[in-house]
Amino acid sequence: MNESLINPFSTLSHPTAVQTSLFAGALFAKFDPTGRFIAAARLNGSAEVWDLETRAPIRWYDGHVKTITSIDWSRNSRYLLTSAKDWNVLIWDLSSTCDPPQRHAAIRFDAPVMSASFHPKNSQVILAVLATGEAYVCDLRKQHKSRVELLETIPDEGDEEDIPPRAPMTTARFDPTGKNIFVGTASGYILIFNTRTKTMIARHKISGAGAMKSFDFAKAGRRVVTNSSDRTLRQFILPNYAPYQPISETEQPPFLDVELEPTHRFSDPINKTAWHAMCYSPDGEWLAGGSADPAGHKIYVWDLSNDGQLATALDGGREPLTYLHWHPTKSSLASTTNHGSILIWHNPTPERWGAFAGGFEEVDENVEYEEREDEFDIEDEAVLFERKMKAEEEEVDIDTVVSGSQTSALFGGSGPTPTSAPETHSAGEAGTPVHVASLGMENGNSAADVGDLAGIDVDAAWAEEDPDCDVLSQWKVKVVMDNDAADFY
Amino acid sequence: MQSQQTQSSQNNDSEAARQESASSSSSSKPDFKLRFVLSGHKSSVSSLKFSPDGSLLASAGADKLIKLWNGTTGEFIQTLQGHTEGISDIAWATDGEYLASASDDKTIKIWSMEERSEIKTLVGHTNFVFCVNYNLHSNLLVSGGFDETVRIWDIARGKPLKVLPAHSDPVTAVSFNHDGTLVVSCAMDGLIRIWDAESGQCLKTLVDDDNPICSHVKFTPNSRFVLASTQDSTIRLWNYQTSRCVKTYTGHMNRTYCIPACFVTTPKGKFIVSGSEDHKLYIWDLQTRQVLQVLEGHRDTVLAVAVHPFRNLIASAGMEKDLTVRLWFDE
Repeated sequence: MNESLINPFSTLSHPTAVQTSLFAGALFAKFDPTGRFIAAARLNGSAEVWDLETRAPIRWYDGHVKTITSIDWSRNSRYLLTSAKDWNVLIWDLSSTCDPPQRHAAIRFDAPVMSASFHPKNSQVILAVLATGEAYVCDLRKQHKSRVELLETIPDEGDEEDIPPRAPMTTARFDPTGKNIFVGTASGYILIFNTRTKTMIARHKISGAGAMKSFDFAKAGRRVVTNSSDRTLRQFILPNYAPYQPISETEQPPFLDVELEPTHRFSDPINKTAWHAMCYSPDGEWLAGGSADPAGHKIYVWDLSNDGQLATALDGGREPLTYLHWHPTKSSLASTTNHGSILIWHNPTPERWGAFAGGFEEVDENVEYEEREDEFDIEDEAVLFERKMKAEEEEVDIDTVVSGSQTSALFGGSGPTPTSAPETHSAGEAGTPVHVASLGMENGNSAADVGDLAGIDVDAAWAEEDPDCDVLSQWKVKVVMDNDAADFY
Repeated sequence: MQSQQTQSSQNNDSEAARQESASSSSSSKPDFKLRFVLSGHKSSVSSLKFSPDGSLLASAGADKLIKLWNGTTGEFIQTLQGHTEGISDIAWATDGEYLASASDDKTIKIWSMEERSEIKTLVGHTNFVFCVNYNLHSNLLVSGGFDETVRIWDIARGKPLKVLPAHSDPVTAVSFNHDGTLVVSCAMDGLIRIWDAESGQCLKTLVDDDNPICSHVKFTPNSRFVLASTQDSTIRLWNYQTSRCVKTYTGHMNRTYCIPACFVTTPKGKFIVSGSEDHKLYIWDLQTRQVLQVLEGHRDTVLAVAVHPFRNLIASAGMEKDLTVRLWFDE
């Protein structure tokens, strides 16, 4: 709502300065999808939710007995997921008024959980990666109750003996639509699985990347940036993935096997430092990378609309960076230091002193004032009043809400991005070396076509079956009056 | 003193006759009729507010008391006591669990509806606190007072987050917009200021040519306009983006007191309601700016007006010669 007054052109810049730092004792911290909160994972296994409006912690979630490895928010922020090295994934309900808070659900695995996340459309579907290199999709819905391991399809080359062993999975994420799961492996592959069928639909070799460390998606889901053990961030434009079409029960399902060429590579050419984290801006125009530099807190911001040029290097002081997350709507970043502070970066708007005087307008340079012909004419007050009343006849709308985020979302969605052109490629044309295992080229294409026509809604409908209770404005966070902690913070 | 509730004679002859003649011309005119008179306050009632779910009506006044009434039947429920000076304004949290009150004892008190008692006192203002309001999430409170500042409070911790040296005269009204990103304030210096809630920066100042004392201001439900009452007996609807006054409502009398105006949304249409110093309530059509109905009955200046969140019900209260809260129904 305030956007139109502060920034009438609603362009999103990158943050430039630290606005505040929260002494949270955090390993890493993540904004929620509404931007009201930030969740911090602490070394002792507890998680804290901070209210960004009051800059104070409002919920303390104690449940893990070992270090938290990842945190995720459900789509409207009602549920918070924490995964930890104690083999557990816990889910917390922010609307619960229990004191002390009780966990909403718990999932136990047979090994330390390295990361876990909610399905973007339904928080009852959870993806988890274990320290043993396995990835699981857990479905907590009554009629789907299951835990399925994601298994890479090994192309059947006829030779039974030298089937290569499956490479351990190092990271996994849902894409923003939730239809596909992206899995990174230790051998530098990205595997794409269909969320509903849990079958592999594509495999991308990323040459020279080494083990994949993490992914981040631009909001529309057509671009992905990867972080890997070769200390390089790569941005890819994703091909269209045809949903898996069962042809016969016995035959091995086909998948797209394509080597992807990055559109951009980001690395530190001098120090060759690795990256701890990277994050797209909400409109996908900027990419922020958190450097693993042990001697300082450095965030690099690249301008993707300007061919990936380095826009700025932000210096956050001497405490090394451990994590980085971009605010879901604003030009704001949260970076975590290894001493546990969360730095909130923002793009300060200069104080406009002219706003304090009514009817006053600031001009950038001197303007020659031209007197209007009728400026000092004495007008009949009755005529003036009449004219004013006439102007007030116009109807006003006092109820319809036009929110700033809606307009900016529209703007972001349709805004021209330099990378939008190749996004119209269909599956068959994507990349250059197309090789569809165990099926001819033609069959692969026809499968893709059928998928485009009929397959899309199946996945969406599957995800929205038995919806969770995370519906906006149907739950609220109760304000807990805190009399003891008042002086501590 | 025992609080009591009286059912007024519903067919007050002269009143009914006037209403009839007024409403005969158009079916969409509001037709509010007095149904309940609530008495119990011992001094002027300065503020009336319905809880967000409409179940409770809170009233507060110069007698340092807050009284809770049933939101539709007007039955007396409870008195909340704690302030050492008169109360100027009260506000409900959006979930109806808490009530905030601003007092001349320079404090704001937060009352829990669960426990029906005071649970927090916000200390910081250096003079009378005159106005108070919650934001959407009810984690922040904004207040203004005779120390000419606007303060934003973290309620959970009871600490001030921001102190805005907002005006050069007592601040008479302050409130958040519907999503909590903006704050509007007005003061006896005649200025209406729009603030960015997060940074505390002034974004806009609205001023009328004659600079009359501005006594109340609030956002429209969609926050695209602000409704401002000034002590030149005028209520104006401002488009704050263009700094233009888009509607002017006149006819009532307001020269001395800070009298708030409210929006009324009924199946019959949208109206503006305000009290008046001629002991009446005036109801205007939002669009045509015509006075559609005048409610008579109070025996003193009508200082406080509140509109039920979903029923066609207006509550009003007056100064010390009256001391009653009246509920007017149009159903």
